[in-house]
Amino acid sequence: MAREKTNAGTHLTQLIVGSYMDAFKKWKEGALVVWGAIVIPAEIFRGFENVVYCVPETHAALCAAKNVGPELCQRAEALGYSMDLCSYPRIDIGWVSGGRKISPTSGLPKPGLLVSDNNDCSLLTKWFDVHHRNMNIPHFMVDVPFCYGPQEEKDLEYIVEQFRDLISLVEKMTGQTFNIDRFFKASIQTALAMGEWKRFLECAKNRPSGITAFDSFAQMAPFFTSRGTPEMVEHYRILADETEERVKEGDFPVPDEKYRLLWDNIAPWHQMSRMSTRLMELGANIIAAPYTLCIGGLEGSFELFQFSLDKDPLWYMARTQNMSVCPYGLDLRTDAMSWAIEELGIDGVIFASNRSCKVFSVMQMDQQRRISEKFDIPTVMIEMDHADARKFSEESAYMRLEALLENIESRRAAA
Amino acid sequence: MKPLDGIRRSKEAGKPVIGCFPLYPPLELLHSMGLAPVVLWGLRGPVHDADRHIQNFACSVARRLAQVVIDDAEGLFDGIFFYNGCDTLRNLPEILQEGREELGRDALPVFRVHVPMVPAEQTDASAYLRNEMQNLIVCLESAYGLSFSEESFAESVALYGSARALCLQLEEAVARGGMAFSDFCDTLMSANFLPVEEQIELLESKIAVAGEERALEPSSRVVVSGILPPPPAICKLIDDAGLTVVGNDVAAFHRSYARAPQEWSDVNDYYVRFYRDHFPCTTLLYSSDARFKALTSMVEASGADGFVFIGEKFCEYEYFELPHLEEKLKEKGVSVLPLEISIEDESTAETYRTRIEAFAEVLAGAEATVSGTS
Ligand code: SF4
Ligand code: SF4
Repeated sequence: MAREKTNAGTHLTQLIVGSYMDAFKKWKEGALVVWGAIVIPAEIFRGFENVVYCVPETHAALCAAKNVGPELCQRAEALGYSMDLCSYPRIDIGWVSGGRKISPTSGLPKPGLLVSDNNDCSLLTKWFDVHHRNMNIPHFMVDVPFCYGPQEEKDLEYIVEQFRDLISLVEKMTGQTFNIDRFFKASIQTALAMGEWKRFLECAKNRPSGITAFDSFAQMAPFFTSRGTPEMVEHYRILADETEERVKEGDFPVPDEKYRLLWDNIAPWHQMSRMSTRLMELGANIIAAPYTLCIGGLEGSFELFQFSLDKDPLWYMARTQNMSVCPYGLDLRTDAMSWAIEELGIDGVIFASNRSCKVFSVMQMDQQRRISEKFDIPTVMIEMDHADARKFSEESAYMRLEALLENIESRRAAA
Repeated sequence: MKPLDGIRRSKEAGKPVIGCFPLYPPLELLHSMGLAPVVLWGLRGPVHDADRHIQNFACSVARRLAQVVIDDAEGLFDGIFFYNGCDTLRNLPEILQEGREELGRDALPVFRVHVPMVPAEQTDASAYLRNEMQNLIVCLESAYGLSFSEESFAESVALYGSARALCLQLEEAVARGGMAFSDFCDTLMSANFLPVEEQIELLESKIAVAGEERALEPSSRVVVSGILPPPPAICKLIDDAGLTVVGNDVAAFHRSYARAPQEWSDVNDYYVRFYRDHFPCTTLLYSSDARFKALTSMVEASGADGFVFIGEKFCEYEYFELPHLEEKLKEKGVSVLPLEISIEDESTAETYRTRIEAFAEVLAGAEATVSGTS
């Protein structure tokens, strides 16, 4: 039986719809619209009176979740963009090039500034360059050194310097003065929200788990659409409170939970409800994913990184630039995943090899080997594309997932 | 000459061999310290061990590079140098070590520099890069017991400068019809794996025998662009179709040797200028605006009326820029032939024959129409 829609679910819809409407409204009123990459600290833009911030990746994910990903991808392909390119930019280029009506939000307000970074992936810089050329607007590139170990001080300082240059550019473009107090307040809101987010994710520790990874995929959106606002804090507080309450009341997403799984890659946006339902029928719950566990942490760690009132918030923003899994190497990823397997009592890991996202995926074969050797748990690799459903074979994925569950079962029987 | 034979030559000379990626490492610096740097680009051969570590949706460059470094049964490599490349390459250093460990090979010392990928007019990252280069020198000195001197560095810069100038001369020989494009590609790919001193000898010997200018059919002029040159069989098809390569925008060729600083104050300053003023490349993120200008002027200056894009399958850097490039070139009346080469396609050049021949005919037809000879 389907669970009742949660208050947090209803609140999420209101928050997301509200944030898109707000962005369109402010754009019409003359605000500078910034399109930024997912990990660019939006708090910087909250330091300005009249600047709004939108995230094309989040919008592309929404399009994929609403099943219009392939249609938009095809539009980009018709313009000559290769089908081998990541599906997010293909979706984005697709709606910008005459596909606005296909988007569930009618796209995004027209930008005046593009801010990319190259740490989640460097193709993002290329993607934003496409808009830079077509729209003839400035493109600020934040260059973030990749981490094979903990972030080094020299790299942190380099990132801070770039944030300062970004602030100067926005000041110059808008004629507004950066307000450090507004920025500080926004940074605190984000830090508070991260605490609530982690409280929500902790509910996966319960047996049965209080959440599924699919819940966390859907609920990560405010981190990108409403970052640095009191509304985001309020939302994550509602979410964490309600989830904890449900756990106390014995209301679980997969009550008959036999298999606790970990998902390694971006959310399979086009499969969210199908996959969770099919797995639930088998008593399996994907309870967590590094993709969402990482939010609020540092490279190589899913634990909350505490905001310090004594530090310059720009320092905090730079220090957390590498948190989102893609910007760090195999050793760090193995550390972080090991922590999750132990803390959450994972029975098996699904490595979703994502043709779109090489940064996340090219490394998984070794990570899979390492995890299989380190923990006595089965793992499986399936092929997918996170946003282009044409590149996902449901049946072959489920055959492998079922084999994973059988493997867990036979190990249990042999124990 | 096969790539590994070239690397063996360096090894036999008794210098520690440093496998480098991606395309524009600080070769002069490594060489000046008594190391033998070799850019691991354009490797050929089957991939097997690497396929246990990298999915097949990575490009052939990365998969072959991984194969050679992981396999390395002869112990050819003494170290790896890399700087921040594309999304596939940045994951490689740890994968290479995993693969070597699996086959029982020694772990290699790894050296890394982060080359700032910001436009100079946006952020002045020169102090950051200077510091990176200084750290690299310290790490190399301590790993190999070698020392750095500005004098040796200047000598190495002069050697590499000579090699670059010779590459440009050879390119001109191809453009004036004095050398086949296939011969040119073969020569440069062989040179890439040789010690720089031998590169110079090889290039000089080729220039000495390059033929005199021959009258070109104006309609047969093309620029070739891509990460790698086309595989040998496709180079031959280009020659056979009567296309003359009057300009190249191949990353492993022209983009690598077209520019280098002529003046500098010290090694750090050299590399600040080297990267900042580098010939634009899809892999240097800050250079894309300059790239379109550089390419259109290359096409105009060379009088090319065709552009052959050699697409490395799965290379996002290249493919993101192709639609815009195609549009701009077509606006200028330049025909574009995009060819996609995957690791599987290289041995089946025949599939490209018809397209290359048809392209050559279109160029010839267009010219005949323009000059009224049809
Ligand atoms: S390649 Fe990966 S990190 Fe980059 S935009 Fe696509 S999904 Fe995001
Ligand atoms: S060819 Fe492209 S994808 Fe391959 S290593 Fe080079 S830049 Fe990366």
